[in-house]
Amino acid sequence: MQFIQQMINGITIGAFYALVALGYTMVYGVLKLINFAHGDLFMWGAYLGLTSLNVVLGLVVQGSAWCILPAVVVVMTTVALAGVLVERVAYRPLRTAGRLAPVISALGVAFILQSLARNIYGASYKTYPNGITPAGGFSIAGSARVSVMQIIVLVVSFLLMGALYLFIQRTRIGTAMRAVSLNHDVSRLMGIDVNRIIAVVFLIGPGLGGVAGMIVGLYYGSFDFTLGWTYGLKAFIAAILGGIGNIPGAMLGGMLLGIIETLGSGYISPQWKDVIAYVILIVILIFRPTGLLGERVAEKV
Amino acid sequence: MFKKLALLFFVLTLTLPTLVSCGQEKGTIKIGLEAPLTGDYAYEGQGFEKAVRLLVDQTNEAGGLLGRQVELIVEDDAGDPTQAALVAQRLVDAGVVAVIGAYNSTATEPASEIYNEAGLLHITPSSTATRLTQKGFKRFFRVCFLDDRQGLFAAKFAKDVLGVQNFGILHDNSTYAQGLAEHTKRYAEEMGINVAFYDAINPEDTDFTPILTNIGAADLDAVYFTGYHAQGGLLLKQTGELGLDITWMMGNACNNPELIQIAGLENAVGTYVTTEPLPKDLEYPEAQQFVADFEAAYGEPPSSVWWQMAGEAFNVIRYAIEQTKSTDSKVLAEFLHNEAKDLNGITGPILGWDEKGDRLGTIHVAYVIDENGEFVLHPEQPE
Repeated sequence: MQFIQQMINGITIGAFYALVALGYTMVYGVLKLINFAHGDLFMWGAYLGLTSLNVVLGLVVQGSAWCILPAVVVVMTTVALAGVLVERVAYRPLRTAGRLAPVISALGVAFILQSLARNIYGASYKTYPNGITPAGGFSIAGSARVSVMQIIVLVVSFLLMGALYLFIQRTRIGTAMRAVSLNHDVSRLMGIDVNRIIAVVFLIGPGLGGVAGMIVGLYYGSFDFTLGWTYGLKAFIAAILGGIGNIPGAMLGGMLLGIIETLGSGYISPQWKDVIAYVILIVILIFRPTGLLGERVAEKV
Repeated sequence: MFKKLALLFFVLTLTLPTLVSCGQEKGTIKIGLEAPLTGDYAYEGQGFEKAVRLLVDQTNEAGGLLGRQVELIVEDDAGDPTQAALVAQRLVDAGVVAVIGAYNSTATEPASEIYNEAGLLHITPSSTATRLTQKGFKRFFRVCFLDDRQGLFAAKFAKDVLGVQNFGILHDNSTYAQGLAEHTKRYAEEMGINVAFYDAINPEDTDFTPILTNIGAADLDAVYFTGYHAQGGLLLKQTGELGLDITWMMGNACNNPELIQIAGLENAVGTYVTTEPLPKDLEYPEAQQFVADFEAAYGEPPSSVWWQMAGEAFNVIRYAIEQTKSTDSKVLAEFLHNEAKDLNGITGPILGWDEKGDRLGTIHVAYVIDENGEFVLHPEQPE
């Protein structure tokens, strides 16, 4: 019984890691840049979600879970635009400046976003209004328990990830993105507007990250401005574990990291879970240096 | 040209410190406050600043100390031990005569080494880890009470009031939480309670369902969480969501209305909290006066006893300076050790300090969270 419960716990945590990891992996795919600001854009999703929810709650009838939807749209748009702005201001001017400068610039943006959140919203924990998310749950396989929120989280995550995967595989822009991730110059010769494609990546990645932030806020109920750092780091690791630059890899890495961590803290101790998780990570990377599904990065020179 | 500039710079760097220190002798009396204005404990740290600034302003309006104005210098340690050491050095360099701080024991520990070396009077409002006063620092004091006392109180409450036989203890590996957990475990075992579960969470996590699933399966009469309120609230919330039936006791770092906000009222009801009394339950006139002044200044009463403790630390420094007519840390510390007795503090009577710098006596009580989301004194307190 306990094992099933722990797997449910782990998959939920893993879904969050996976959603955030998508943003890291997409940007890395096209720019070979670790966008350290992604975790903090995600954190801003949680704050903006709270703000817009309060506005919506003030305008519309209370007590309906549907009032979350307009807030989601606002968050997705705002964070996506913020992502594009970050790219335009902090990354594009440095695109030819070697690999180190953009990484430092990304770290700078991360700190700026974090301080902005702290100064605007204050340093204390923020809580989402109670009773806005559907409560309740049911038992499966004896005493294991799944809450309605967990199911919603999983369904939404898989829908978002699936939609993104189809978008990249099946649409013209998606094809262009894959081309840009292979080679900027050749893509340009093929008539692809590389800057525009990169902007689209920075629209989608942070947009998804913002929604993920809002879901984390709704699910756990409370967060503060350090949220982005913890989740960002874990998601970054999940992206590498799955094979950075690879979308299904990010999902796989996130899920795996969540489950390993959970089993580690459930069966050994939370104090040891990071040790266990990272020993496994190192072992996997020794045998598969490009991550579990990351073959595409390997041949890049 | 470059050489001339370099020479000028060299001369300036040599003379500037002397110019600055000349000003120090007569001007203001500088008091340092080291607090976590950012980071996990920012809520407490910002309350520290409000409380102390209120009293500093009152002092200055009343003519200052020894005829000099008091200048408060605030440094942010973010609750982090590395930053604590850095800002401690900054306060020493700024020429403060005494320091209030830090909030958490993890930050106070490295800072106290630096203040000790500089020979400064150092009073912590809220760091309760026992080992802070085990180092023989002659000028280190607390206005709070030891974790050792709280651990004894928690074990007694569990046994005598709740009738616990199988006890669980959960900490978060911070200096404070681990210390409190160890003391509670020791006293509980001495009283014949079986400590069947003893583990720690990682305070950076937001999801504690794995460990809660374990605790739920362990058949415990009560579990005592000795960490901070942000994690305490999440533990309560997730206990409810997992549908587990756990009797929670929490330590004094969970004595905070945000605990209920984070947990959601339905998950927080019935949680026991061992702590110093809340500001509103301090029935001493001095305490109530402070609460009223605080409300007048900031529009809301102090919501954490630690803010009041920070104010108390300043009052103790002020009292010592007034009584000794000195700003020499050595004189002040000796006064507090030997002569300061039976004061009417804003956190209750101050009997005095022992040779290690620990405040004598104790004021711990047990609260329970009621249906209205209030911390109410538990009707039954252990002897």
